[in-house]
Amino acid sequence: MSWIHPLAAEVREPVGVLGGKAHGLVVLRRLGLPVPPGFVIGTGACHAVLRDGRLPHGLDGELAAAVAGLEAATGRRLGGTERPLVVSVRSGGAVSMPGMMTTILNVGITAEAADALAAETGDRRFALDARQRLLSSFAAATAAPVPDDALGQLRLAVGTVLASWGSPRATTYRELHAIPHDLGTAVTVQAMAFGNRDQRSGTGVAFSRNPNTGEPVPFGEVLFGCQGDDVVSGRSRTRPLHDLAGRGPAVWAGLLEALRRVEARYRDACSLEFTFEAGELWLLQVRSGGLAGTAAVRVAADLADEGLIGRHQALLRVAPEQLRQLHILHIAETAEADVLARGLGASPGVASGRLAATADRAARLAADGPVILVRPETSPMDLHGLAAAAGVVTARGGPASHAAVVARAMGKPAVVGVAGLTVDAAGAAIRAGGRTVPEGARITIDGSTGAVVAGSPRLAPAAADPHLGRLLEWADEVSGDTSERSEAERLGAAQAELRRR
Amino acid sequence: MTRPGPAHATGSDLLVLHALRCMGFTSLARVAEAAGLPEPEAESELIDLAVAGLVTKVAGEFGGWGLTEAGRAADARRIADELDAAGTRTVVAAAFEAFLVLNPELLDLCGAWQLRSAGGVVTANDHTDSAYDARVLDRLADLDRRAEAALADLSAAMLRFRRYRVRLGGALARARSGELDFVADSTASYHAVWFQLHEDLLATLGIPR
Repeated sequence: MSWIHPLAAEVREPVGVLGGKAHGLVVLRRLGLPVPPGFVIGTGACHAVLRDGRLPHGLDGELAAAVAGLEAATGRRLGGTERPLVVSVRSGGAVSMPGMMTTILNVGITAEAADALAAETGDRRFALDARQRLLSSFAAATAAPVPDDALGQLRLAVGTVLASWGSPRATTYRELHAIPHDLGTAVTVQAMAFGNRDQRSGTGVAFSRNPNTGEPVPFGEVLFGCQGDDVVSGRSRTRPLHDLAGRGPAVWAGLLEALRRVEARYRDACSLEFTFEAGELWLLQVRSGGLAGTAAVRVAADLADEGLIGRHQALLRVAPEQLRQLHILHIAETAEADVLARGLGASPGVASGRLAATADRAARLAADGPVILVRPETSPMDLHGLAAAAGVVTARGGPASHAAVVARAMGKPAVVGVAGLTVDAAGAAIRAGGRTVPEGARITIDGSTGAVVAGSPRLAPAAADPHLGRLLEWADEVSGDTSERSEAERLGAAQAELRRR
Repeated sequence: MTRPGPAHATGSDLLVLHALRCMGFTSLARVAEAAGLPEPEAESELIDLAVAGLVTKVAGEFGGWGLTEAGRAADARRIADELDAAGTRTVVAAAFEAFLVLNPELLDLCGAWQLRSAGGVVTANDHTDSAYDARVLDRLADLDRRAEAALADLSAAMLRFRRYRVRLGGALARARSGELDFVADSTASYHAVWFQLHEDLLATLGIPR
């Protein structure tokens, strides 16, 4: 095979060929962790499409052979009338372009395969729902009619994912982020793990350390009986990851072991996207690093203390810019603090401003001073409002929801998953705890504790961050400079010295 | 699809009423600019509409002209009647579908204009990197060309939608000439006009937001 590579421990192709997602899956296989069987169409096929305007000769034959291999590995048949093979088809280039390209799940569920899936699971509704999801994701991504032969569906899905590299939106994204247009995407095809199969199934995201604080405790969220992107979208009510300990002890134990192994391998805080089907754990993606602010500082210092990295490496892990964004104030929760609601702290820091119930309103109100955007959930459609706001609150979603991720990236406080909060955009108000708060009213949020407070409460004095203190001591040792300077300057001087050596 | 026959022209009173429907509370100058009318004419229409109880003027810093509940209902009815009378429902629906394809990209561009990533930290774009700003503006100009093509049939069918082309093109030109507020920040920015167009398409088709 020249275009297609198995997702197997012995694969040695670089990330430029496999794409970041599949490369991570190969690493997981090498670590002996559970990854759904599958294969990856390397970026070479995308290069051929970009060059010649069509799929390369030989790809079709390789695709059929790879499917046959997958059928043998799973004991299933694509489009089979008994135990049908169902696959996911995902994009993934060498550089992550979140949300810009297409993913198609449940490929292979023809009308006949849906019947077979219903018979196999004894759950007709599940099978029909899975087929419906396939048809809607095709409808959203391509105008082409969906073939009712399973291999035809797979070909269409591969072609659709490859074409999404060249969509105007993806092109714009690359222009803005200085990503070369000729890198191309790989296409990962894997046997589906159905998180929506039953109540012993589900999906989630697990962090090896708390991404808000850096605390060395597994953290994340899980959604029982759900499939795919429900967690990331923040559209559904998620549960804290630790709920798995009670509801799925084997899955929980497997996850803890996986988090331990990936941290040791990447020598950094990691996160895993996972699905479990009928009590069996499958890992779908691994990411390392990417923490900001307090969490980045604490993880760097802790990893050095744990001996996973050296102190010099720890110093190079934190960008001086991140120190300028450290938030250390908290709302003083005294008797006079008028707490409206509580959610999950998803991005630390305190922000105070006038309430806006839509992104557009936030963008407009921000001209007159700080704004807190309060939404049921956020999507890329709300980005301008998030950019304008000093802080964000969402009624739904967990720490991996869109609002949380974007807020952390921007270093803005965020509170997500606020139970009992309703946003009435038309009425320009929110309701929480039996009270109505109109747009324009001042509120204050604490992205560490999850408190949403009316007015401008008193803030507690900043406590010195012991992890930052430690890191900066190491920095001064390296630079040999103990004069009075800003934290960012102290770290920057040490990094300059380390890079000179 | 090219629609035969002359474009439908909306009366000045409905132009002013509907501009307020798509803008929220705003000043006379902005209503006139959006409706494409001289200020005295727009003001005269506003006063007539106020007498009819359809619009109201609120004093104070955040005040301005806005719709009353009756005005909102009247606008919905009259805009729907206009759509039926002009026979342009299909062309508006097609334009809306094309708009929704372009909308996420416009929001990406506004995000990129306002924010930059440095050292793994996303911060406000301080507009000191002119090469970066030029990249964003080039992509915005490209999107604008695609938007013009996608909305050409709509502009050909209903005159009032031509105003968006003028305003979007104007905002882009001012941004390219160095007025940085005209991408996403000012009330006459590309984003602000784009948002009004979004609101207009929803209101015209009677789709709740």
